[in-house]
Amino acid sequence: MKLRLPSTERLLRAACVLALVALPLMVWSIVDPTVWPVLVALSLGQAIGTLSLLLFLVAVARDLGLRAKLRK
Amino acid sequence: MAAAILITFLVRRPALEGTTKLWLLMGIGVFPIATAATANVSGFAATQSRTFCGSCHVMIPHASDSNDPHSTSLSAIHARSDQFGHDNCYTCHKDYGMYGYVLTKMGGMRHVYLYLTKYHSMPLEEAKHDIRVVSPVPNENCMSCHTTTAPGWNKVPDHASALSDVRKGALSCASPGCHGYAHPYTKLGKELPAK
Repeated sequence: MKLRLPSTERLLRAACVLALVALPLMVWSIVDPTVWPVLVALSLGQAIGTLSLLLFLVAVARDLGLRAKLRK
Repeated sequence: MAAAILITFLVRRPALEGTTKLWLLMGIGVFPIATAATANVSGFAATQSRTFCGSCHVMIPHASDSNDPHSTSLSAIHARSDQFGHDNCYTCHKDYGMYGYVLTKMGGMRHVYLYLTKYHSMPLEEAKHDIRVVSPVPNENCMSCHTTTAPGWNKVPDHASALSDVRKGALSCASPGCHGYAHPYTKLGKELPAK
């Protein structure tokens, strides 16, 4: 079974939503540097933010036609 | 700023042309990375403060003692020094050496894990009795400020006679007969044999 990635538009929208979730988690720890905000920011916030960036990079790679270029 | 860019993209659904991509690069890449870096720096700085250590209820007695301006415990005396200040727990308990910061943070994660799984609902009186430091604070930590090579240090007869044991770590600086335990609630157990 071949894994098909969603369209670039959908990837970008997902990346935006994830970034919108990650940003407040990280900002929360800066505003209120107590145990839970810091733990959440350094784990969950970072993980969601990284996933968002990865989706964005996949969209960029697709936009640049990297897969076709690599095949050549 | 990043949130404004992202919400605009989600609501307005602009065509994916060059300008939009550039805005997305800022909204998903540049600004969130800057936010994450700031959160990391401020988060790691926060984890070094006494307030942070004392936010787990089992550490409240130690933190309160350090906060007490009238306390004569080693930890409280050091907390009143500008070089330790609000970070006195971290300054004494951290690992010194090349990988000290990483090792200390890994040890801290172990504390978080143990607190969440084991000590979270432990009554304070029980915690005072049961929770012990995993290993005594090594003399190297004391010696990072109180050098044993200074003439003033060696002028103290007890220092001079115990020099070799202190340097080897065979005799703890924070032990009865020397400077006493660091905290009023320091306990001896199997893992902390009396020296």
